[in-house]
Amino acid sequence: MPIPVTIADDSLLSRKTVRKALPAEWDISLTEACNGKEALAAVAAGKAEVLFLDLTMPELDGFDVLRQLQQHHAKSVVIVISADIQPEAKKLVESLGAFRFLHKPLQADQLRQVLSELGLI
Amino acid sequence: MMLSLSEMQRDALQELMNIAMGQAANALAKLIDAKITLSIPKILVVSTAEFQDMLQPDHYWFTRQSFMGQVKGEVLTLLAKAGTETIGELLDYPIPLDNASQEELLLELANILAGACLNGFASQLDLKSKLSMPTMFNVQLRQAESYRWHNTLLLEVEFELEATPFDSRIVICLEGHSVATLLERLDQLLED
Repeated sequence: MPIPVTIADDSLLSRKTVRKALPAEWDISLTEACNGKEALAAVAAGKAEVLFLDLTMPELDGFDVLRQLQQHHAKSVVIVISADIQPEAKKLVESLGAFRFLHKPLQADQLRQVLSELGLI
Repeated sequence: MMLSLSEMQRDALQELMNIAMGQAANALAKLIDAKITLSIPKILVVSTAEFQDMLQPDHYWFTRQSFMGQVKGEVLTLLAKAGTETIGELLDYPIPLDNASQEELLLELANILAGACLNGFASQLDLKSKLSMPTMFNVQLRQAESYRWHNTLLLEVEFELEATPFDSRIVICLEGHSVATLLERLDQLLED
């Protein structure tokens, strides 16, 4: 069974960067979300066992997505991919239940390493 | 000739700037040990006259730096007058600031922010560009004709420092030829 994975980012370029960085052998079914609301909808629809989450997005930002997931005890594995790389941002997303905090521009080998650490590949 | 950007080019530029400013904010945040809020970058095409109108001399100090290499242009850094003392204090400058230390502080801030921003931007596009040291300048004394560009692309980002009145904007102005180089690289990035 392919793993349901969602990429949530308002930037087309960033979604594409993540898509290209995903290991080719990883068996997934991929959904893309352009804002926080769509990301939550994807989680609710069971399309985001793994969620790659940007922080600055319109409608609902990544921090709010994390807060809502926490409130609803969602089981998604959230990997934040952020342009805001200040230690404060990292601390905050980790306190909100994110599994990892990766910096943009995303490096494919870092992503692979994180997926392997989390036992996803 | 008025330049126009496709939606995809605009999206890509905005995202590249977003990443670059994240690096710049981090550089400053480390130095002053405070959290910086980032806005979504603005991408504008303006004429020099429109550009002059955008600048608010009452509100900001201005520094300029030129950059040379595969892309050429100018970086202007706008630093809020209101927060200068607060930042100075965070950086251990003697308060109240005298003229010399104020200028030193402003140039240091501009160099950190604009340097990280431009480097972040250029490295993502694999373009080489070298930034000169910043100098202060008086917007009111500068004539629109003295800019080396006419209609061009402005990449504008804003930084706000939490709990202080300080904010800063970085405006990257590209020369005509460099805009073409930049768009070529962007298209390559979008095609891959």
